[in-house]
Amino acid sequence: MFNKILIANRGEIALRILRACRTMGVGAVVAYSEADRDSLAAQLADEAICIGPADARRSYLSAPAIISAAIVTGCDAIHPGYGFLSEDPGFAEVVRAHGLTFIGPPAEVLERFASKEATRRLLGDHGLPTIPGSGMLRDEAHALEEAERIGYPVLLKPSAGGGGKGMRLVRNPRELEAGFKVSGSEAKAGFGDGSLYLEKYLEDNRHVEVQVAIDRFGNAIHMGERDCSVQRRHQKLIEETPSPALTDAARWELADRAVKAVAEAGYENLGTLEFLVDAKGDAYFIEINCRVQVEHPITEMVTGIDMLALQIRIAAGEPLGMTQADVQARGHAIEFRILAEDPAKDFRPQAGQVGAFIAPGGPGVRMDSHLYPGYEVPNDYDSLLGKLSIWAPTRSEAIARADAALRELLVDGVTTNIELHRAILANQVFIDGKVTTNLLDRVGSAPFVAASNR
Amino acid sequence: MPARSQGEKSGQSDAEQAAQVQRDHLAIGRLADDLLPALIAKLAASGLGEIEVRQGEWKARLRKPATAPEARTAKAAPESHGHSPSRSSGHGRTDAGHSTGDESETEPGPITANSPAVGIFNPRRDLVVGMRVRSGDKIGTVDVLGVNQDVVAPVEGIIGSSLVEAGEAVEYGQQLVRIELPEAAPVLAGGSADAGKSVAATTGKA
Repeated sequence: MFNKILIANRGEIALRILRACRTMGVGAVVAYSEADRDSLAAQLADEAICIGPADARRSYLSAPAIISAAIVTGCDAIHPGYGFLSEDPGFAEVVRAHGLTFIGPPAEVLERFASKEATRRLLGDHGLPTIPGSGMLRDEAHALEEAERIGYPVLLKPSAGGGGKGMRLVRNPRELEAGFKVSGSEAKAGFGDGSLYLEKYLEDNRHVEVQVAIDRFGNAIHMGERDCSVQRRHQKLIEETPSPALTDAARWELADRAVKAVAEAGYENLGTLEFLVDAKGDAYFIEINCRVQVEHPITEMVTGIDMLALQIRIAAGEPLGMTQADVQARGHAIEFRILAEDPAKDFRPQAGQVGAFIAPGGPGVRMDSHLYPGYEVPNDYDSLLGKLSIWAPTRSEAIARADAALRELLVDGVTTNIELHRAILANQVFIDGKVTTNLLDRVGSAPFVAASNR
Repeated sequence: MPARSQGEKSGQSDAEQAAQVQRDHLAIGRLADDLLPALIAKLAASGLGEIEVRQGEWKARLRKPATAPEARTAKAAPESHGHSPSRSSGHGRTDAGHSTGDESETEPGPITANSPAVGIFNPRRDLVVGMRVRSGDKIGTVDVLGVNQDVVAPVEGIIGSSLVEAGEAVEYGQQLVRIELPEAAPVLAGGSADAGKSVAATTGKA
């Protein structure tokens, strides 16, 4: 096991890693930027070191600053948390070159899974379903033929370009005929290349992700899945497990397939495989996250596994110490991301000084937050103030506990999305477990904001 | 930082000296009020590193900090320490322009050279207490994974006590060496009729 770990992150995840180190009896040093001098993690840590200015490029994203801090404080491992350098193969490599351990997948594993496109092909070869598509389309007849095979609706996409430019949603053969020539000439004009291909359009999809853990000996487990369909502009707001979108049998089958494929492909450490699930319940692999996720607490709540401790043990070269049969999921858990954003003002990030802060309590209530009264929320980083996670034996009980906890939660001085969460909880679509990733963007947040102002 | 003469005394009588001091003060005041702000603006707008202007028996030379990275480093460090009264070289230059040439500009409290990075601090080998440094002068390095980053004096002054030992681990922004501001009046009194005396409004490297 490690002697001392440098925590190269901030906010609630720095605190979470610090807690894991303490429960494991491992020393910890919190690396912080000047904007985080007064952060809770830096204050609670036995040792903390300033690595640079507020600008993340010169602090949390600076490999030399972080590695130098680890060396001068006598650390033998670096925990990157999530975001920042957590999935950077180059960073993992340099950390190793300095005789330290990167707590995450080894550099060559990060490298292998770095490209989304290559990962889809790799895991497709290992049996995971990916979003169906065509090859390059020769002509209109070919397009019609391929669309028929894939099934409408389909996305007509230019081979060149990117960022959704020139993309066209096509719902039937007539629209495809009409769109084919236009898209082709648009692509030709826009990117100098008129070639097009088709991809299945997953309407009203759900976001379901499988949590896996694999040690360096190839022992692999999954810890079930999480449903992260409550999103706003691709940002997750609420996550829950188990997913209301899938039956128990379908959930475990998906998780089994996912962990088998990724273990065969040579993955190591904690990982999350993200899938889009369509209205029929078919899941398509989209990408893998090679790090601990923001929403890991709900998996911890239902499985009872300390995922950070598990991750640190795997990185230290220890075996998993458990098999799939040891992983039992109990009850239902929901996580709410408490953000410093104003829903009434187009979710603009908010900064300011926290006045009163009251974290809720009660059975099955967990608050992961770096807030304290008087804390100055810097505007240099993301707007996550904390995560409220709720566990209960059933989903409906979890919703009731969540509402009670959200009513207790008080963050004075900074505008938050707490009331928006309560409005979503009260919404029939959420209660029915039918939220799709496009819901908030489609209906807009206005009805929720209005409801939350009652 | 006050603009000040760096001329040398050269065996004049007390009366002569007093009269000279008065003339110097007037000249400095005039330079500071009229000439320097214009020169500073000119230098800032230009791509030049140094400007020298002669006026009567006076010569004013303005220099930019030696290199841009150094200037940034010196600037970032004091800003980062909210409680540190030390100023950046960039600010120093501006202050010189608005200085009236007397000692009222002198700030109280300790000024320090701060660490530009997290690593191991090594002072310049010849660094001794009492040594005079200009703003931007290198007074040591911080070894970051084998790459040295310069520790620079944020202001012109005199090296004071060291706050960390050589070879000690330091964090970003850590106060390393005290810089004492020189007594302004005796320095100002050093003017003479000799040619080549100058008003040093420079914040650049020596």
